[in-house]
Amino acid sequence: MTGKHLLLRALKDKGVKYIFGYTGGAIMPIFDEMDKMGAFRFVMSRHEQGAAFMSQGISRASLSTGNPQIGVCMTTSGPGAMNLATGLADAYMDSVPMLAVTGQVATGVIATDAFQESDVVGVMMPICKQTYMPLAADEVEATVHEAFYVANTGRGGPILIDIPKDVQNSQVADDYQFEAKSYRPNLPGFYYHPTPEREPLQRAIDLINRSERPVMFCGHGVVNSNAGKTLLKFAEKVNIPIASTMHGLSAIPADHPLHLGMMGMHGTVEANRAISEADLLISFGMRFDDRVTGKLNEYAQNADVIHVEIDASEIDKNVATSVAINADVYRTLHVLAGDPMLTYKPRRRWFEKIEGFRQVMAEDLRQEIETGVGDDGKLLMKTIVHQLSELTDGQDLIVPDVGQHQMMAARFYNFQTENSWFASGGAGTMGASLPMAIGVKLARPDERVWSISGDGGFQMNAQELGTIMEQQLDVKIIILNNGYLGMVRQWQTLFFDGRYAGTPMQSPDFGLMAQAYGLPYRKVETLEDVIPALQQAIEHKGAIVLEFVCDPSEVILPMIPAGGGFEDMIVKRPGQQTPETSNSDGEKS
Amino acid sequence: MKRRAILAFMLDRPGVLNKVSMLIRKKMYNVDTLTVCSSRKAGVSRMTITLREDDEAKVQQVIKQLEKFTEVVSVKELDTDHSYWREVAVVKLEVPASHLESFHGRYNFEVLEQKSADIHILQVAGSTRRIDSFLDEVGQEHVIEIARTGVTALEK
Ligand SMILES: Cc1ncc(C[n+]2csc(CCOP(=O)(O)OP(=O)(O)O)c2C)c(N)n1
Ligand SMILES: [Mg+2]
Repeated sequence: MTGKHLLLRALKDKGVKYIFGYTGGAIMPIFDEMDKMGAFRFVMSRHEQGAAFMSQGISRASLSTGNPQIGVCMTTSGPGAMNLATGLADAYMDSVPMLAVTGQVATGVIATDAFQESDVVGVMMPICKQTYMPLAADEVEATVHEAFYVANTGRGGPILIDIPKDVQNSQVADDYQFEAKSYRPNLPGFYYHPTPEREPLQRAIDLINRSERPVMFCGHGVVNSNAGKTLLKFAEKVNIPIASTMHGLSAIPADHPLHLGMMGMHGTVEANRAISEADLLISFGMRFDDRVTGKLNEYAQNADVIHVEIDASEIDKNVATSVAINADVYRTLHVLAGDPMLTYKPRRRWFEKIEGFRQVMAEDLRQEIETGVGDDGKLLMKTIVHQLSELTDGQDLIVPDVGQHQMMAARFYNFQTENSWFASGGAGTMGASLPMAIGVKLARPDERVWSISGDGGFQMNAQELGTIMEQQLDVKIIILNNGYLGMVRQWQTLFFDGRYAGTPMQSPDFGLMAQAYGLPYRKVETLEDVIPALQQAIEHKGAIVLEFVCDPSEVILPMIPAGGGFEDMIVKRPGQQTPETSNSDGEKS
Repeated sequence: MKRRAILAFMLDRPGVLNKVSMLIRKKMYNVDTLTVCSSRKAGVSRMTITLREDDEAKVQQVIKQLEKFTEVVSVKELDTDHSYWREVAVVKLEVPASHLESFHGRYNFEVLEQKSADIHILQVAGSTRRIDSFLDEVGQEHVIEIARTGVTALEK
């Protein structure tokens, strides 16, 4: 048996069904063997970055379901491997377990600057949870098993295995043995605490019972540990409102009466103001990044913080905790939801106050959504997302790209399906949506999947239309075309005196592009046409491209300027009333 | 700033040292010394890191970040009261032998070689401060070349 065969055997044993990738000299032997084995569905991306995001899509959409799969991509050495870097860095930031297998030049020529040799392990080490380079065929299988274990144990993350070509081809000894079933990794120091300890839990319970103005945080960890329902049970039991991080969206129904919506830079007024005024924050599975907290020394100054998090290094990193619970989110919530010592409080004044916060923007938003077009008569993104949400009853799977349209989708899609929101967050990688949606569709084939991109991001991985065509995947593709790199334009409007440097953009004829890939297409320019177009996409069997011509001056509000505190939150449109624009430190989005 | 020592045991796998040094750069830790040797256990290395940091939370961050590496078996901070921190310096000095005599007994050094009447190669062992003060007393101007190992530490 050869290294390549053992690699594929291990992938098969780990339940891998799809392999995304792109061939080349250093990976050919594995591709050849894969073809012979016939055990996988190979999906050829049109760029290796696409393959990385497709793998992410598989993992993100399936790992918390009954049919968990870890996404796997494979590329050749040198440029093939380097093209994976953005997708791996993105997975690392968003704690997405996935495996990248790259071919490497043969051990005999490593370190000679051979053709297409790159130090792949060296490059990927800081952006992967772990990297491996097996140097003999008999190490390969155990390496793959360890990789899967590490990827998906504790906080998830991407793993890279770089396999020299001669290791792929070489034979193991006749007495080689490997038992997949009984395999246990030999990692004596790699542990995590799944179960919460009683002592901090008790202190948490005391704080919760004593608090007058608590807010609960729903982070990515709630989605990943499939704990949405348990979170709701707990929240209802103690009557505490919930704010979500961007990645926490879809863990609970967005319109649940206790839900305040998204928090942070583009979070709702009610979530952000409630956090500012809270006396207790109970946070589940999140990491208090700067898009969530704003200026740290002004953040939630009067609140105690209970932090439940599987990754110990995230606790006390940015925000000092009163109670640290280093444990699995689901298990902790399960204990809390059943704890008889926790008491229900009506908190009438607190909820009244929050309702007041909600009213700050509610009427403006309602009117804008209803009007549906900007001053120039072009469509508003929020109205399109709102209509999509209504037509699909908030049931569908949403894969946004990065930019204004992403924040609009986060804010105005009324998520009803658990784990139905798949977004590049920590890295904010434009171009993630189209390939990620492919992975999501393959992981959850019976559900409707919408890829929603801006005109900018769509063109960053538009080549994956080729993959959609070839694989005949039913992904509904929406382009919200505002003619600009809108999110950056928004910053320019607010903080750069309206100088639009490097943001206006000419796009190709998206209709002709769709046609080139044999996909139906519809351009939507009027409010009346929004619903019929969305309806057409829903009824059409297969992929379709819808382009909406959007108002470039629409802004996503509220907004807390980068580096600013919650007090700096902008709630009025430019021109509507002079926005407070203090505290921008010129940081780029 | 306060000097701290962190002791870590880690599996002796390729790239571990690389990871630690990358972490130091990435998180911009203020590291003074880093020493690695094998431990009593086969396949497990022993690493001592000293750094300057007053902020307790930051030191805890270093420890937690190290613990995240799958190769790391254990990490802890060693405080000065309950551990020995030692290093060795090999020094080439240009100084009359008689001058050196006066330090015998007060400092723990050994003459490895006398190259000429006033060129000596010495080995000095002890705490960082002890070695510093030896060099100060001898006179830094007499030092031609010096090699220091960096700190290694052991719990009492
Ligand atoms: C790969 C990458 N390059 C640059 C950026 C910085 N950036 C963030 S949002 C954005 C604009 C996105 O424009 P578009 O895709 O048209 O979406 P819109 O904001 O207009 O909805 C840019 C350039 C990024 N996030 N990712
Ligand atoms: Mg745009």
